[in-house]
Amino acid sequence: MMIRKATLAGLFTFALALQTAGIAVSEPLSHEGMVKAAIEQHIVPHFNALKAAAEPLPAAVANVCKTGSPEVNRALSDQLAKTVVAYAGVDFLRFGPMLEKGRREQLSFWPDPRGYVSRQMRLILTKQDEALAQPGAIGKQSAAVQGLTALEYLIRDEEAPLGPDASARYRCLLAEAIAGNIVRLTSELAEEWEKPGGWAEKMLKPGPENDTYKSADEAAVEVVKALIVGISLTADVQMKPQIDPKIRLKPPYDKSGLQKPYYTATVTSLRHLYNALQLESWLPANRRWMKDWANGTWRTLESSDGAGGRAAHAERDDAPTPREVFDRANALRNMVANRLAVTAKLTVGFNELDGD
Amino acid sequence: MNSMAIDRRSLLLGTLAFVGTARLQGAFAAAGASADDIAYVSAMRHAQGSYGVLLLRADGSVVREVPLSGRGHDIAIHRPSNRVAAFARRPGSFAVAFELDKNSPPHIFTPGDGRHYFGHGSFSQDGRLLYASENDIETGMGVIGIYDVASGFKKIGEHSSYGTGPHEIMLLADGRTIAVGNGGLDTVPDAGRVNLNVDEMEPSLAFVDAVTGKLIAKHDMTGELQSLSIRHVTQDAAGLVWFGAQWEGSPSETPQLVGSAGPDRALKLIEPQGKGGSDLKGYIGSMAVSSDGLTIAASAPKAGHVLYVDTRTAKVVGQSDLKDVCGIAPEGAENFAASSGFGVIRYETPRASTITERELQDVAFDNHLRRVG
Repeated sequence: MMIRKATLAGLFTFALALQTAGIAVSEPLSHEGMVKAAIEQHIVPHFNALKAAAEPLPAAVANVCKTGSPEVNRALSDQLAKTVVAYAGVDFLRFGPMLEKGRREQLSFWPDPRGYVSRQMRLILTKQDEALAQPGAIGKQSAAVQGLTALEYLIRDEEAPLGPDASARYRCLLAEAIAGNIVRLTSELAEEWEKPGGWAEKMLKPGPENDTYKSADEAAVEVVKALIVGISLTADVQMKPQIDPKIRLKPPYDKSGLQKPYYTATVTSLRHLYNALQLESWLPANRRWMKDWANGTWRTLESSDGAGGRAAHAERDDAPTPREVFDRANALRNMVANRLAVTAKLTVGFNELDGD
Repeated sequence: MNSMAIDRRSLLLGTLAFVGTARLQGAFAAAGASADDIAYVSAMRHAQGSYGVLLLRADGSVVREVPLSGRGHDIAIHRPSNRVAAFARRPGSFAVAFELDKNSPPHIFTPGDGRHYFGHGSFSQDGRLLYASENDIETGMGVIGIYDVASGFKKIGEHSSYGTGPHEIMLLADGRTIAVGNGGLDTVPDAGRVNLNVDEMEPSLAFVDAVTGKLIAKHDMTGELQSLSIRHVTQDAAGLVWFGAQWEGSPSETPQLVGSAGPDRALKLIEPQGKGGSDLKGYIGSMAVSSDGLTIAASAPKAGHVLYVDTRTAKVVGQSDLKDVCGIAPEGAENFAASSGFGVIRYETPRASTITERELQDVAFDNHLRRVG
């Protein structure tokens, strides 16, 4: 018993000494560990979830086109919502398979301030080219007509709804082709991450022969950059239009009423990735306030429904205003880029992050 | 030229964009410095998030700082009049002009309603006009804004840039032709910096008559190069224009990012030896030519490299490593100064040998470093 007490006292003294010296008490997660955690705990599961959410879409569209009943229409709306929410969880992972072949824009063409989706869809619907229903054909068209935003356009067109009527025949052909294309894209994304020699392996095995990542640091920086990009996008394209009356930008998947679920899914996914990276494990004791500050900021972001209201499971009693969410998101971005990443010996360059 | 008045609201917005006059700034100020002391100019950011333009001596030490309220990008310089103009980065809408040798209040101006800057501009040889790359937001087509210096940088007209998303523009040595890197990417300020037309982009290198606005020549990036967004340009001693690009296609298909062309010379990418487009992580952030006009430098900040190309052979002669390097400018007859987002300014030869290096505390150099004179 005496020995245990002495040991505990020794450990306490040692921890105190470390704190005084400004050294992290817990073992920081290595850069290799960060990459592994990000891939295994966050990236791959999220892309698999997206793939799973998208898979029932073609059948859901086919059911609507066959019967047009309220039940199947509701089922299609639910499936679209599930897929959009799953997409919101990966939207900011804009590197690797998402960047390759322009998959991100093809999967979700938002923001769309010029209205490319409606313009291109109207053009296609006017031409009624049957060849677009052929396998693979829609994947060769403009990114604006290939993915979730294009499918939403067809599903939410109240003047010409999808259904068994002859007047909806071409729209149904198109919707089925787009749904099939979404399945293709989401399957490719999951496959490109997980296959032997895929992006996960590329990130986990950096080195001189690796054409993208020469070191674990580079791979870890890639993930941290994605986190920073995600926080920035949340502030700039989801929140800023709500506080600047000059900005005319519709919320994501507005026609389907998915603005709030989209925001919630984005913030939940960002927080999940943030936690997986354990950047805070590098903080010396005298900078632990950053951890508390970040926790408070995440709590604010999570307490918002993304549209000025209070989230269903908010830890705060009040609803954070869009202005507060915007400001806190920007501050969090700066904290991650300029403080936490630097402390974790990951230098995200001013120019490399967002050059022009 | 199309006459264009700047409305009062835009002017006020522009004024708000500037947080001070060209006063000397605390630690970043040197007493008794003159314009002749200034060798380099660059936009920058302080650690706490404030922005400015730094005026540097040849050795990289700071002469003074001109604060900005928003992030700047490139700086146009007219040496005979000691005048410079700093532009907001895409899709900003303020520009600030001031004189190197005076602490007089700067001129603040904007591109007017329905326009935003792309961060670059160029003075006419006589210094009477300033040209700026701008976006006609409604149509998504690029324009070259024309400003009258004598009237306080009043916008007096526009030329077409003959493409979408003009980035760097440069008045060539003939004093008449403007080379335009039309990046091909459509942006709308409402959507921030998101590129809206990546799969349908039409980048080009255009040569525009600065006086008449007529198109002299245009090289379109087509086929396998359709996703090669031309962004930065410079001109060598033989008059050839060199460009640096950003690849918007699949990373695995990245081509060479540096090439050359002229109004009557076909577009040609550099030889594929040395760092390829993929090794450069798809992005050239800045271009410069040595004072003797024989070497081109292209910085690749995402990869942390500077590539040196012999203009006579189009072959890579050197490549250096510097984390987050982007600004690049000539030094002496044949060497270069390179600046980084970590406050480093390094002098090196085209063979990538470091001559000397200085690190400024609390400074992140932005994309472009310009040599004065």
